[in-house]
Amino acid sequence: MNTFTESEERQALRAAVADLGRRYGGEWFQRKARGGEKTTELWTEAGKLGYLGVNVPEEYGGGGGTIGDLAAVCEELSAAGCGLLLMVVSPAICATIITRFGTDEQKQAWLPRFADGSLRMAFAITEPDAGSNAHKLTTTARRDGDDWVLNGRKVFISGVDEAAAVLVVGRTEDARTGRLKPALFIVPTDAPGFEYQPIEMDIVSPDKQFMLFLDDVRLPADALVGSQDAALMQLFAGLNPERIMAASFAVGMGRYALDRAVAYAGDRSVWSTPIGAHQGIAHPLAVAKIELELAKLMTQKAAALYDSGDDAGAGESANMAKYAAAEASIKAVDAAVQAHGGNGLTAEYGMGALVAASRVNRIAPVSREMILNFVAQNTLGLPKSY
Amino acid sequence: MPNIVVLVKQVPDTYSERKLSEGDHTLDRDFADAVLDEINERAIEEALQIKEAHDGEVTVLCVGPDRATDAIRKGLSMGADKAIHVLDDALHGSDLLQTAKVLAAAIRTVEDVDLVIAGNEASDGAGGAVPAVVAELLGYPQLTHAREVTVDGTTVKVTRETEDGLTHLEASLPAVVSVGEKINEPRYPSFKGIMAAKKKPVETVDIADLGVDAGDVGLANAWSTVVEAAPKPPREAGQRVEDDGDGGVKIAEYLVGQKLI
Repeated sequence: MNTFTESEERQALRAAVADLGRRYGGEWFQRKARGGEKTTELWTEAGKLGYLGVNVPEEYGGGGGTIGDLAAVCEELSAAGCGLLLMVVSPAICATIITRFGTDEQKQAWLPRFADGSLRMAFAITEPDAGSNAHKLTTTARRDGDDWVLNGRKVFISGVDEAAAVLVVGRTEDARTGRLKPALFIVPTDAPGFEYQPIEMDIVSPDKQFMLFLDDVRLPADALVGSQDAALMQLFAGLNPERIMAASFAVGMGRYALDRAVAYAGDRSVWSTPIGAHQGIAHPLAVAKIELELAKLMTQKAAALYDSGDDAGAGESANMAKYAAAEASIKAVDAAVQAHGGNGLTAEYGMGALVAASRVNRIAPVSREMILNFVAQNTLGLPKSY
Repeated sequence: MPNIVVLVKQVPDTYSERKLSEGDHTLDRDFADAVLDEINERAIEEALQIKEAHDGEVTVLCVGPDRATDAIRKGLSMGADKAIHVLDDALHGSDLLQTAKVLAAAIRTVEDVDLVIAGNEASDGAGGAVPAVVAELLGYPQLTHAREVTVDGTTVKVTRETEDGLTHLEASLPAVVSVGEKINEPRYPSFKGIMAAKKKPVETVDIADLGVDAGDVGLANAWSTVVEAAPKPPREAGQRVEDDGDGGVKIAEYLVGQKLI
């Protein structure tokens, strides 16, 4: 039986990151988002302190830590109201895949910049006509001499405008069978033929969503990550950390909303006692606390399993954690808005913006429904409907 | 290569409500979150900057109960090299004179100290005298309320800032420097710093190791006593000024009424 307390170092990391996050905070974050600005200062500072590269191996200048450590960083910044969405993508998915499957040259070229956060790499899998169905991906890479030529469309890709490169999930044709199989390519955002357009979203966030257009994007041979045959493994290696990070991001968001609501309910008084004394206000906040703690615990379990090398065990827990964290964050934000009354939807209190932001947690990076399908089929052994 | 000792104290977080124990009016340590005092973070930062410019070694020195280990680890994770933790139940309730005596005794155990750096006052006791008393006990010059510190060979120069203005001080090493709020912005511990902190040596000593007599320390032997304590009265509701285009005038009238302008 493992212990349910984190190591001293993990706790110290949380405390240090929380301190940094507090200095920026939710008001700063929303001001930046509403002003169409980025959160580059926070990203840069967190990167220099090694917080964004905790999971990158030490030999490449990283912290030599784990996904659990990275998830703690993600959660604490989010809990301070200034979560960095690209942490879910850049260090968690991209750095993990390159660390585990990249060639030596690719590791040398990219990992040191993940280590200090000087590089952001977006991740592109979703396509307009494929959605959650990875088998229908149509972005295709064709061999031309030593080069690869990519064509395809991607949608809902986060932070492309802030990224130096995008890790694109495409497919290559098997020379022998003619079948298409997945392959991952590192595509610089300034590559000729690569274009991106923002998708207007009703979400207050400095990190934007994009459509990608790849038209005859010519890439050198070493743009393919690792070997052509390992892509499915690569995807799975990257998607567990993604889910763990998404769960941490959501738990942090819920904690932020709950903290604000507790402060408000403890202070605001319209009869003889603060409104937090009324059970109609207090109980939903207590429920939110319990559900956030449960989601956090499952997230820690998923991270612990992943970090111990149990990819299959981590897959189930990571999905469950992501589900639980999304639901808990939505509920916490809802309770927080309600506790604030009319102030809950003013720009000043910043709770209203969290309604849409927390709602994203139920959809991305994998929808609630796809997680339920996964649990129904893989855990419960029920028949597939699709 | 200056050998620097930084005095650090674990205090109740200023963000949380702070309280004295009912029985003996000492700090109720269970009541509030305990943190490394922010002014000490600035003291550590200054020591680290001096170390980065001149090499040398930084030792953090803390007198405090068991859980003060957290404050010590934070100092080590920021980049200090080692630590001395004076841990002894007999110290409970010691006042600043007694604490200064223990600190001075502990500093004497460090070989070839060049510089002792402290915060100018702790956020809990706010006595603001420990650095001066320690300097006096050690026979070192004291350069207090520093907003700028420069070490040059065997001398230290300090810009001292108080309400009376700026004073430029210079002393030969070894010396005691206490720093004010404006000295620097303390760094956050890096991930590598956090991971390295656990492996750094922390020497735990009791007062017998330091040659301090138990009859000289602790609440019963303190030079000062807290006779009575009352919680701070709640803040009164402020006066709200509606701005109908004459907000500035109304604020000015209020300030005149309070004899503030």
